[in-house]
Amino acid sequence: MNAKDPEKLFLEKVQDFLDRGTENLGNRTERRLEEIRGQALMAAAQKRSSFLPPRRWVLAGSFAMVTLAAVGLFLWLSPSTETLPAGEIEDLEIITSQERIDFYQNLDFYRWLGSKEDHLRPNGKGL
Amino acid sequence: MKSVRYGWQTETKDPMESNLDSKEMMNRFLAEVERRAFQMAKFATGHRDEALDLVQETMLQFVRRYSLRPRQEWKVLFYRVLRSRITDWYRRTFVRRKILAWLGRPEEEDAEDPLQSLPDTGNPNPSDHVIRQEERGLLEKGIRALPPRQQQAFLLRAWEGMDLKQTAFIMKCSEGSVKTHYSRAVHTLRALLEGIYS
Repeated sequence: MNAKDPEKLFLEKVQDFLDRGTENLGNRTERRLEEIRGQALMAAAQKRSSFLPPRRWVLAGSFAMVTLAAVGLFLWLSPSTETLPAGEIEDLEIITSQERIDFYQNLDFYRWLGSKEDHLRPNGKGL
Repeated sequence: MKSVRYGWQTETKDPMESNLDSKEMMNRFLAEVERRAFQMAKFATGHRDEALDLVQETMLQFVRRYSLRPRQEWKVLFYRVLRSRITDWYRRTFVRRKILAWLGRPEEEDAEDPLQSLPDTGNPNPSDHVIRQEERGLLEKGIRALPPRQQQAFLLRAWEGMDLKQTAFIMKCSEGSVKTHYSRAVHTLRALLEGIYS
């Protein structure tokens, strides 16, 4: 130590003063600090038991990601083999068409009417 | 897994610590820092009970947030939490004082610490004892009277031996600000004690 350095001397005095201040805090304060430390240790133990270690989080996360990627890849690569049955397509046309529903209920009548009209208009003329 | 590394971190690791279980390591660490943390909080608040409350809040918050972090990071993280709690205390006190002033009630006087009036039995030389007591009183008042940021920078650098990077991380400011706060605090305290040392 450079004895002539007033700042070092000053800092040593300050450190000595501050260290002495922690030596005897009094029984009440020391007991209270022990209690506080005990509470903190309990909280730390709870935290440790409620969480997986970080390494296990990484393993669990990696496993979940790999599984998700495999399922996604399988679904993307597998060709769609399902075909809609013909009856379902007809129903779909009826539902999506803008015709009124009674048109489909009387479809036989309109077919008959259509054939009659064709019969009356042999050259696209008539009616 | 590679943990986040802060600028102040070093590679040093105590080989003895690998043999301890995590609870014992935490117990030792808290026992090591609790007295200084209490003194720092007491310098900030001026009250024993409020300082103890701040230490309690700090310890609980520290273990909940950082107990799973590597041991070599604990000290800096602990003081970062303590600094944050002290800053919150300043804010709360400021609001309380404003409300009390608005209500027209006088502020409570700081209670005198009875330990301060006890004689220092560790020093047998009476003349030296008088100077020491005078020094202590002046230093204590001087440190308490420092602005909060200067007080924090001074205690962390001069007492805890934190370097600039660590202090800047704890105080959430730049290294330049730490230098400024610290040098102002040293200048103020040295000027205060000049009469004794000269």
